[in-house]
Amino acid sequence: MLWVARMLAGPMLWGALFSAVYGLHGLGCALDWPDRATPFGPLHPGGMILLWLVGLGLHGLLIALNRAGGSDRQNLLVRSGNWIGAVASAVTLLPVIVTSSCG
Amino acid sequence: MTEKMHPIAPNPPRKALLLHRQMQRVWSDLPGWRGAVCSVNHSTIGLRFMATSFLFFAIGGVLAMLIRAQLATRDGAFLDTQLYNQIFTMHGSIMMFLFAIPMLEGLSMWLLPKILGSRDMAFPRLGALGYWCYLFGGLIILSSLLFGVAPDGGWFMYVPLSGKTYTPGINADVWLLGVTFVEISAVAAAVEIIVTILRLRAAGMALTRMPLMGWYMLGTAAMMLVGFPPLILGSILLELERAFDWPFFDILRGGDPLLWQHLFWLFGHPEVYIIFLPAAGVLSTIIPVFARTRIMGYGAIVAAIVGLVFLSFGLWVHHMFTVGIPHMALAFFSAASALVAVPTSVQIFAWIGTMWAGRVELRLPMLHVIGFFVTFVMGGLTGVMVAMVPFNWQAHDTHFVVAHLHYVLVGGFVFPMMAGITYWMPMISGRFRVRALGEAAFWLIFLGFHGTFFVMHLTGLLGMPRRIDRYPDNPEWEWLNLVSSIGGMVMSVGFALFVLDIAMQWLFGRRSHRNPWKANTLDWAMALPAPPYNFSSLPSPGRDDATAILPLARGEGLLPGAPRPRREVLVTDAGTGRPDHVAVVPGNTALPIWTAAALGSFFLLMLAGLYVVTPLAIAAILWAGWRWGGFMGSRADAPDIPVAPGLSLPEHWQVRQTLAYSGTVTLLVADGTLYASLLFGVAFLTVIAPNWPAPDSGLGLGALLTAGAALLAMALATLAARLAETWRATPSGMGAALAGVLAAGLALVLLGGLAMLLDDPRRHARDALRAVLLGYAVFHAVVALMLGLRSLCDARQGRTSHQRRGAAPVWQLFQAFWLATSALSLGVVALQEIG
Repeated sequence: MLWVARMLAGPMLWGALFSAVYGLHGLGCALDWPDRATPFGPLHPGGMILLWLVGLGLHGLLIALNRAGGSDRQNLLVRSGNWIGAVASAVTLLPVIVTSSCG
Repeated sequence: MTEKMHPIAPNPPRKALLLHRQMQRVWSDLPGWRGAVCSVNHSTIGLRFMATSFLFFAIGGVLAMLIRAQLATRDGAFLDTQLYNQIFTMHGSIMMFLFAIPMLEGLSMWLLPKILGSRDMAFPRLGALGYWCYLFGGLIILSSLLFGVAPDGGWFMYVPLSGKTYTPGINADVWLLGVTFVEISAVAAAVEIIVTILRLRAAGMALTRMPLMGWYMLGTAAMMLVGFPPLILGSILLELERAFDWPFFDILRGGDPLLWQHLFWLFGHPEVYIIFLPAAGVLSTIIPVFARTRIMGYGAIVAAIVGLVFLSFGLWVHHMFTVGIPHMALAFFSAASALVAVPTSVQIFAWIGTMWAGRVELRLPMLHVIGFFVTFVMGGLTGVMVAMVPFNWQAHDTHFVVAHLHYVLVGGFVFPMMAGITYWMPMISGRFRVRALGEAAFWLIFLGFHGTFFVMHLTGLLGMPRRIDRYPDNPEWEWLNLVSSIGGMVMSVGFALFVLDIAMQWLFGRRSHRNPWKANTLDWAMALPAPPYNFSSLPSPGRDDATAILPLARGEGLLPGAPRPRREVLVTDAGTGRPDHVAVVPGNTALPIWTAAALGSFFLLMLAGLYVVTPLAIAAILWAGWRWGGFMGSRADAPDIPVAPGLSLPEHWQVRQTLAYSGTVTLLVADGTLYASLLFGVAFLTVIAPNWPAPDSGLGLGALLTAGAALLAMALATLAARLAETWRATPSGMGAALAGVLAAGLALVLLGGLAMLLDDPRRHARDALRAVLLGYAVFHAVVALMLGLRSLCDARQGRTSHQRRGAAPVWQLFQAFWLATSALSLGVVALQEIG
């Protein structure tokens, strides 16, 4: 059953990342983070972008770890699961770099 | 690497008829009325689910026709506004909660053991309990219509409309309590389906070789397990607000109506996929049979199922695009909504590719499959349209959305289900259908449906809002509505013909020969109609398709016949399908109906506002729950059971990873989701709701010490539960169980004391949420205490030994869960106090 866990790791990481970024977005709006500046830019989008990038890095790690392996159905499903999670994280959280925070 | 199964030698052949008679004696329902109330067999329960859900579908359809009659002209005087509100609310609620979900539950209960190579579901009594809860809950909801107090706030019961101020009668209570009662059935089914798929597959049937129907139902059940708890929580919170004035949704006291919308749609959107996935499973089963080829892209379809299951939980806010959410949040959910079209499309293309690669025979089930393609693809395309925020703002709450959801739900569920029913009817009835009637029914339904709903897109684009009963100032909508109404009537005639076709087949069809469609899945490896035990002997590696029918009937498979007069099933390893042990599942019993009656009495007393008497109903539930455990366990170690030459396996009470253990882990996933939803509620109200921070808290050192002492007692009980299992073969085991029960009891008393120290829950949402967190801990205290008492009884009555563990492993799971969630709750309250 370990291969099932490896297959689900990508989508679960997406779930965790989506929840974390969405949660951070709500928290930041409630605490007026968009108005707080840091040396790297406004705190709110900066925090979300950083979290997103860290998440994408973890997705990349998952893909790299599971790149080796046979071409049987289990390995195909594991790799598919990893890519599903990575693409979902990249697309659904892309708005953190293109949209204003709390407007 | 895939773990290969060693071949298992076949059992010697025997006379099939003798085996059949032996199996019939053990697996049949009781005769007469006792069979009606005592049956727990998966085929009986599955068929009952489907038949009852179809009855509710008919009732929901009649309500839909009343709606169409009212809207056919702009000054319709057929219904008054109040009754119209009740009827459209009941139509939606019946179709979603009393038709679609129970229909898929029934199909999976009836089909899964057959297609996976088992004799029954993992928890037959749980399936029966689910059915009775569904029936009683459905009747409660339905009877409200007769008494004129039916829910009237729309099928999603938005607050504040459904709050006490705007719905002072019991209309909303009927919905909240009735639907929650029915949801018990859904969660029970989800647990049962998951454990059945993971543990009761045929020997050697690895997950990667499982029929796609198994993957679809696994995904569906996982979604039910995670999707239903938010709605159950929402319903509990709203009922608490209505009954006791705890202000979760009252803005003035720190609540927020948007919390209801979040909790509802956290369930509501996955619900669409919960309905679609089993239907897609039916399609993936049927299409290769009628295309005379193998399904194309098995791996891609499984990956698409995984993608759908996860992505569907990231879409719920697209039902709330117009409530004033920040742009970035809208963009997250809009992107996820568009992305979910990808895995759906993968499946559509796999099915089209399968048909392209094969040679399609356009038999009746395939007609319904074509109906699915046309309808669902159109619904999917309008789905992508409404996923785009600017268009959504324009189309929101118009008939465009009504048209879209009907295209998705009828296309994605009703057509595939009709395909499935016509496909499996020979197995249900043992008869062929009567020619031509089914085709006529299909065309009437297909044309009637598109006549009704295609033009409804235009009605919506012209601006007609949902839920209005008259439109005297908009004559431009009238002809479109009239067309829709005529289409609706045509569709109704089609459904009536469909039912007539099924009845004719059952009553007058000629006898079907075995495997009439020449399918290759295991469900057709049996005589028709399917016997209650499915297989005289169970499929073994290499003998797990429809060609194994004769060897299995002759007992050449595993665990042949019923030499011991009890219902035995083979439990396998979740991943590889390696045979693990033999489980004895319960036979006919009235306990499920009594338990459902006890639960029903609780809901009815709540509905009647007789809160003082509810402890009696709770006592009845506890009594039934206690009786439930009586079947489990054995007073003596038993020798291993011969399954095949050279293969003997232990009975289930002599292993640790039992079906009950797997079921408890699965149930705790649902339980944990409910708790996580509660924490989401706390976070949401704390961060988003106006009128925070809350008034000063009255919690002091006394409350802190009491909570700390309760946690300590829980930790001791958890440790004792562990020791009760470790020392089970010695007298110390009983001592540990007793200590665990005492510690759990002490924790319960302390939690009761803590309740006295809380602030008035009516004061502010924060105080109400704290009371709910405490109530959650108290509920788990009662469950853990009962499991502890069961373990103590096991030890006292000699039902534990070195091999037999009794209820201790399950008790440990609940103890650990109770301790973890309670510690987390205390941490949340502590954070609030510090903050």
